[in-house]
Amino acid sequence: MNLFFFWMLSLSLFIGQLVLLGILAWRKQRTNRKESSVDRQYDDLTDAFSSYMIDQGDRRFLQQLDASPDKQTVLERLLNHYVAVTKTGPTSDEITALAEQYLAQRYAKLLKQRNWAMRMNTLYFIEDFRMASLIPQLKEKLHKHSKLDQETQQLIRTLASLNEPVAIAALAKFPEAPARLYIDVFKRLDELTKLDELDAALDASASPALKHAAISYIGMAGIMLFLPRIEKELENEDPEMRIQALKALLHLQYMNDPGSLTPFFSSDSWQERMFASQIAGALQLSRYKERLSELLGDSVWWVRYSAAEALTQFSDGDILLSHLSTNHPDRYARDMANQWKTSLSGSEQ
Amino acid sequence: MQETALIVSYIVIAYMLFSSLSYLGLFALAFRKVKRETKLDKRESTEDFLRNQSTYPVSILVPAYNEEVGVVSTVRSLLALEYPEKEIIVIDDGSKDDTSLRMIEEFKMTKIPFAVRMHIETAEIESIYQSSIFPYIRLIKKANGGKADALNAGINLSSFPYFCAIDGDSILENDGLLKTMKPIIESDGQIIVTGGSVRIANGSTISRSKVEVIGLPRSPVVLMQIVEYFRAFLIGRLALSHLNILLIVSGAFGVFNKERVIQAGGYNKNTVGEDMELVVRLHRLLREEKSKQRIEYIPDPVCWTEAPDSLGVLKSQRIRWQRGLFETLWTHRKMMLNPKYGSIGLFSMPYFLFVELLGAVFEFIGYFIIFGGFFFALVDPQVAGVMFLVTVFYGSLISALAVLLEELTLHKYPNVSHLVKLYFWALTEAFWYRPLMVLWRVQGIFAAFRKKAHWGDMKRKGIST
Repeated sequence: MNLFFFWMLSLSLFIGQLVLLGILAWRKQRTNRKESSVDRQYDDLTDAFSSYMIDQGDRRFLQQLDASPDKQTVLERLLNHYVAVTKTGPTSDEITALAEQYLAQRYAKLLKQRNWAMRMNTLYFIEDFRMASLIPQLKEKLHKHSKLDQETQQLIRTLASLNEPVAIAALAKFPEAPARLYIDVFKRLDELTKLDELDAALDASASPALKHAAISYIGMAGIMLFLPRIEKELENEDPEMRIQALKALLHLQYMNDPGSLTPFFSSDSWQERMFASQIAGALQLSRYKERLSELLGDSVWWVRYSAAEALTQFSDGDILLSHLSTNHPDRYARDMANQWKTSLSGSEQ
Repeated sequence: MQETALIVSYIVIAYMLFSSLSYLGLFALAFRKVKRETKLDKRESTEDFLRNQSTYPVSILVPAYNEEVGVVSTVRSLLALEYPEKEIIVIDDGSKDDTSLRMIEEFKMTKIPFAVRMHIETAEIESIYQSSIFPYIRLIKKANGGKADALNAGINLSSFPYFCAIDGDSILENDGLLKTMKPIIESDGQIIVTGGSVRIANGSTISRSKVEVIGLPRSPVVLMQIVEYFRAFLIGRLALSHLNILLIVSGAFGVFNKERVIQAGGYNKNTVGEDMELVVRLHRLLREEKSKQRIEYIPDPVCWTEAPDSLGVLKSQRIRWQRGLFETLWTHRKMMLNPKYGSIGLFSMPYFLFVELLGAVFEFIGYFIIFGGFFFALVDPQVAGVMFLVTVFYGSLISALAVLLEELTLHKYPNVSHLVKLYFWALTEAFWYRPLMVLWRVQGIFAAFRKKAHWGDMKRKGIST
């Protein structure tokens, strides 16, 4: 056991740390200085940018931007902030034009960077700023990816946001692709392309994953155009497809033939019974009140819960629930009716 | 006698060197992942989930016992959380103060009947309240049964498939839940538990239930805990999570798949380390089912909590933690070195036994030998000197390294002065803070034999202004 050896070990770790501390402190100082300079430039440019977005004839912003030492970083932040604020609104052509003019070259380089996070950020920005000039490079990149990792998923989303149907075709390469990703793609395509792709996805020859996602998306987006085809899926032999169709109908809040719901109230699948109850409530289908009262005593909690919630949707729901809370033969049904007659369950949505 | 002391010295030295190097090895494993994500724009990577209907809804459970000071600000911070669909359930576990009253007054709550599903048996539920301003805030008033029992009651009342357990004195960052749910959503439910880094809020400016300015406290006791958290979260947990063998998700904050937790039997009421025990039981369930599901930890600091600033409270907290660790390892001793449980049984359990639990015992012996060597010729002063240096290496230098690694990867503290202050305090660890920890951890092992589950008894000052 050599004391000298341990002295040297400790000392070298200590000295190594001091060097590292020095480097990190220097780096931090430099980053902080740069950050505050960028913040200053951002603040200085904000007003001019806002004016420019209202009136592109006001060229002050472009002049100021050209004079800015960190123009790309500052512009990226301005555009990103603008997009974040107006996310649900229409995409501004001016944002795209500014990004194409000042950032396209930079992003083309960044897409080839070794740093994964930088590549991911670039993909997010290309999507946000709708930079179509980079489509060829993105397609080439997608072609090279053989694994559906986070980067490939974002590549697919970015291409979809640029209205490239190749995004859906690319997903076919990955049988393990989650429904969530298909939905993300549908969401991003423009209206006409989206309708064409959904139409194709509902075709019998489409893969089940694609079809599930399409039905789910149609419900979420409330696209009534496909209602008859969704209703037809209630007869599908695949139980998962039927559940997706019920879920979509619940979102669409309409049925051409409410009678087709009848078998689901006595289905072996509790999910089907639950969705049937929810639809009966949402569409206020009075003919099913009795079935709902029965399902209040279902063996599955979620079915009881949904049946009670459905009853609250009817104009006489409170009276019905009040009656059931004392007269239903099932104890759990009485509890559930009691809960719903006095309060509406809350969740933030 | 001297020969025995010498042999023990060699064992302790070998042990401490092994532990130090295993820390470094673990960090090397985790470094790539942390570094890889450092520059990622977190806002961009989570904003899609905000508007996405396929983002799983989450029930947020806040167990509270005598939390009248902090509970309202915690719930307010939860209200401000960016998340598409959530409900907040506060469980007052028989508090002796005005925890419930504060909730009822602040959120205009009224008593409601509720058909609670009894997935897990709990102490008697006295009443359930619902806010008339935010109907998705509920309060359960129940008989005292301990934190685990309170969480189980919250699980019974919750409506959603995932629940997030958060301490009544903690503040979650606005996008904290989104960040924590992200791995679960992206894995399509293959990840069943996620934990995020917990940071110490003392010294930071928190207003309107939000961390406005990150800062450092003055108290050395709290400063050292900050360093300690870096070391534990950054070095230990990240690497273990990377290997899918993480046994701890902080009790202060974690997200769980409810169905899996119910299958596992909920939180265990008979231990003070209910958070760790549940995670071990979930691992056990997954291994026994040969499931590919996993448990993950994210390095982002998403939750801020109040650390004790007095030695007395810190002592009882550490005794409780160590006791919890002991009880968990003892309860699941069947898994130890059992190949049936894969890397959990062969690596993780022994690691927690030898490094996290028995480490304190080895160090305790080490301090005796150093004193004995220098003052009573128990061992050769040269050996005592080696032991001293190894202790400094194991304590101060590794902790100081953790500070530097935090700056290298996450760099959350904004000023150079913060970095320097934390670094130099970390260097003092082996000389005062670590011996205290070692002493309390050894006491914790003894305390494990005196069983009685109870809440931590820290007097809250409240972290929000």
